[in-house]
Amino acid sequence: MSDPAGHSLQRRLLVSMAAAFAILLILISALLWSYARNAADRTHDLLLAGAALAILERVSEGPEGVTVDLPTSAMEILSLNPVDRVQYRIFIPGEREITGAGDLPVPPGAEPEATPAFFERDYRGALFRFVLQGRQLAGSGGRQWVAVQIGQTVERRRAQQLSFFATGLAGLAVLSLIGLGFVWVAIRTSLSPLRQIAADLAQREPSDLREVEGAPPREIRGLFDAINGFIRSLRRSRSLTETFIADVAHQTRTSLSALQGHLSLAVDAEDYEKMRSRVLKADRQAARTVRLTNQLLANAMVIHRSDRASLRPTALKPLVRDVLAESLRDSRMRRVSLSFVGEAVAEGEDVIEGDSVSIREALRNLIENAVRHGPPDTAVAITLEGAGDRIRLRVEDAGPGIAEADLPRATERFTSLSQASAGSGLGLSIVKAVADGHGAELTLARSRLGGLEATLIFRRILAALLLAACLPLAAGGARAQTLVVHSATDAPAIRPLIEAFEARTPGVAVDYVEFQTLDLHRAMLDLGDAAPPDVVISSAMDLQVDLVNRGLARRIELPPQIVPPPWAAWRSEIFGFTFEPAVMIYDRQAVSPEELPASHRDLATFVRENEDRFRGRIGTYDIALSGVGYLYATQDSLQGPQALRLFEVLGRADVRTFCCTSEMVAATARGELAFVFNAIGSYAAAQAEAEPHLGLHFFDDYNLVMSRTAFVPKGARNPELADRFVAFLLSEEGQRIVAAQTPLLSLVPSPPAEREIERRIHERLGAFVPIRLAPGLLTYLDALKRKDFLDAWETSLGR
Amino acid sequence: MRMLLVEDNDDLAETIIDRLRAEGHSVDRERDGDEANELLRHFKFDIVLLDVNLPGRSGYEVLRSLRNRADETPVIILTARSQIDDRVIGLDAGADDYMIKPVDFRELSARCRVLARRRAGAASNVFAAGSLVFDRAAKRATVDGRDAQMRAREVQLLEIMIDNMGRMLTKEDVADRLYTFEEAPSLNAVEQLVTRLRRKLEGTPLVIKTARGLGYIAYLSDDE
Repeated sequence: MSDPAGHSLQRRLLVSMAAAFAILLILISALLWSYARNAADRTHDLLLAGAALAILERVSEGPEGVTVDLPTSAMEILSLNPVDRVQYRIFIPGEREITGAGDLPVPPGAEPEATPAFFERDYRGALFRFVLQGRQLAGSGGRQWVAVQIGQTVERRRAQQLSFFATGLAGLAVLSLIGLGFVWVAIRTSLSPLRQIAADLAQREPSDLREVEGAPPREIRGLFDAINGFIRSLRRSRSLTETFIADVAHQTRTSLSALQGHLSLAVDAEDYEKMRSRVLKADRQAARTVRLTNQLLANAMVIHRSDRASLRPTALKPLVRDVLAESLRDSRMRRVSLSFVGEAVAEGEDVIEGDSVSIREALRNLIENAVRHGPPDTAVAITLEGAGDRIRLRVEDAGPGIAEADLPRATERFTSLSQASAGSGLGLSIVKAVADGHGAELTLARSRLGGLEATLIFRRILAALLLAACLPLAAGGARAQTLVVHSATDAPAIRPLIEAFEARTPGVAVDYVEFQTLDLHRAMLDLGDAAPPDVVISSAMDLQVDLVNRGLARRIELPPQIVPPPWAAWRSEIFGFTFEPAVMIYDRQAVSPEELPASHRDLATFVRENEDRFRGRIGTYDIALSGVGYLYATQDSLQGPQALRLFEVLGRADVRTFCCTSEMVAATARGELAFVFNAIGSYAAAQAEAEPHLGLHFFDDYNLVMSRTAFVPKGARNPELADRFVAFLLSEEGQRIVAAQTPLLSLVPSPPAEREIERRIHERLGAFVPIRLAPGLLTYLDALKRKDFLDAWETSLGR
Repeated sequence: MRMLLVEDNDDLAETIIDRLRAEGHSVDRERDGDEANELLRHFKFDIVLLDVNLPGRSGYEVLRSLRNRADETPVIILTARSQIDDRVIGLDAGADDYMIKPVDFRELSARCRVLARRRAGAASNVFAAGSLVFDRAAKRATVDGRDAQMRAREVQLLEIMIDNMGRMLTKEDVADRLYTFEEAPSLNAVEQLVTRLRRKLEGTPLVIKTARGLGYIAYLSDDE
């Protein structure tokens, strides 16, 4: 059914009920929305409060004033929210910053109190929710407040709010639907009287025009009355039709009787003159009968056509010209002066929804009337003129016209006002029927020429101009693209990956720029207005997480088949693509495989017991210089208190520190070092394979695993290409190349293990502890914490 | 004139034939569309009066095949159908005129005469109507035997009006036929030319009637 909605009472009721429900739903959903927000905030505020509390506990009065030992647990608590970025700040209000981001915004007038205060503020382009909490510390200078402010972006909260909201709303929607179902049943029940009427009417014979009987409910009384009213008017109309047929019969029979009378008198005439006069009368009567019949047929046709949808856009001017040219052919028109005025109406301005056949008939009847009723040299003026959205077709004649008093009756059927011209009384009623069929207006008046002025006023269709929108042509053409990669990875190590990527994406060149981890981190922070690279790769996971936590990375949409392990991804912005365990490299000539320590604790014991033997012959990272070294050392310290003890032992044995794995391995190969602690496994293994006297050793308790990470900075010039590059690194093909063609190891160690190191990893897979990409890595990047850690390390090493 | 009436109703055919014969025409009659078609293949008539509803093929088909043979014999369609669309089809098929039954005999005669005149004027070199004689070949018109002293344009206009007798021509139609594309005359020039020609035709039965806002139609007043 293509009926508009208003045609179904049931639908209309349902729609208005549905609208009411919808309004209700909107009101409730507004409440639900704020409830969901509160609930999501409450949940996450607990994390913020917990982290703030954990930090406040570690605030203490030191020799240089108030200081803090940032607890790992604080960041771990915040990492329970796996999505959002973290900012923190520890300060003495109105005095100084202790550590963290000093520019975190605080609402004006906010004072730190012992109870946590929560608020939302924009910070560097993203909305953060902050907690502000303080603690009074009794120190040498009296009691003073120390405040901690921690903020998290609100992505997770909003997602949770949305999910609370959606769940609640779904329930409400189901309830509403059930409610609507009841409404539907109620409507059907209350509309049953209407169906009874429908059944009653449907069963009727067309001739049965009795009124519908029954006692309708009050609400449809009006409809009921209207139906009966309609039936009554239908009955009237039918009786009018019957009258019309009777009239037609009467008129035709009368006319034919007269004709027959004249003819039979002519037949019986006794002399030629009488017969001739009778025949002349018969001839005139025949002409009248013909005209009457023609007009009855025309009338019937016009009425019939007005019933059907025969209206289509019709240009009036050419139609009128046609009718006039046609009527001029009639020899009776030779002395009639016919004129047409229509210049004012331009082409396209004369279009109406019309039926050309009916309009022709109307116009012909008006002209014929004028000619018939007027003198032989009468004037007929036809005018076509536009006025607003109407167009007027006016026919004026110089005939006798119609008296003012008779005008209202002029369009009634069989009302011939002039006995002299013996009209059929149908001409104007045909015109009236055409006007009605077109929704047009017919006005009759006295014309300037002295006779009748008949005007048909149609509603015209004004041509709508369609403006063709000119779409600018998109500048096409494939342009060679350059993908800029800034990376802290040896170029030779990563080259096979880059070459493979270039090979599978034609027209793309990779511009590879090598950095040290700390330099790369600094370069990214000091970009200023310079365009960032397209991809940033580094082995220093903590520094990379710091960049991402500052909101510098953009989201990467990975193809669905690529699912990195959870520890190697954060916020869908940064992904690890290698598996790089810390390893111990030893010189088989200096250390025999049997005495290799099984655990980190054993290592400390082993070194202490052989202090003189290893003096100056142990190598490890200089963690002040190497990002990876710092990462390994800090993560070691998280594994237990033995780490610091190990540093002390190594310090007593005069451990040598290096900038990088390659130098440490080279020194071992030369025999300068007995062993190296915490080298990067992948690099070290590659080098050790060439030196048979070097051995690899993993511990049984745990082995830290680092992953090289990549992210795409915001504002990258070729973000889509960069996404494809990262996806390629993580793809099956990329990982295969990592494993087979580079010294690096693939993210998920895949059998068969071909290299020595892979075999060793497989032997004790459970003992490998990957470092998680999470805000927890930020703890040791805290300036204060880092300084403390480096100080402790230096002290341990006895420097 | 030699006429062919194609009409299947005998009574109507009889009255029309009687009427036309009384006016001095020679009239043949056919009942059937196919037979009429055959006859028209082999004989020439001055005018064909063609009913639409015919046994065999319809009047329109007869007309169409006639025109397809490049036969320009004037044809008047007689139809009892009242829908005007039919007339348009008739004219599109190449009819020169149409009339709706029952036809007024006087009107039928008048239309026949106009068509006959139009055809005669186009077919022969000399067109004569009352006191007017127009020699198409010599481009000369005489009224009452005296040279009407028409200029070239007036002679051209006269020729156009005779060729389109009984047919309404708009001012634009006339201008298109009178002038070449480059001359681009004003419609005023056409009006003045018609006025001059009309003055020179005074006293002859050829009338050029102006229907203001519509155009011109020529007819012979002695038809009445």
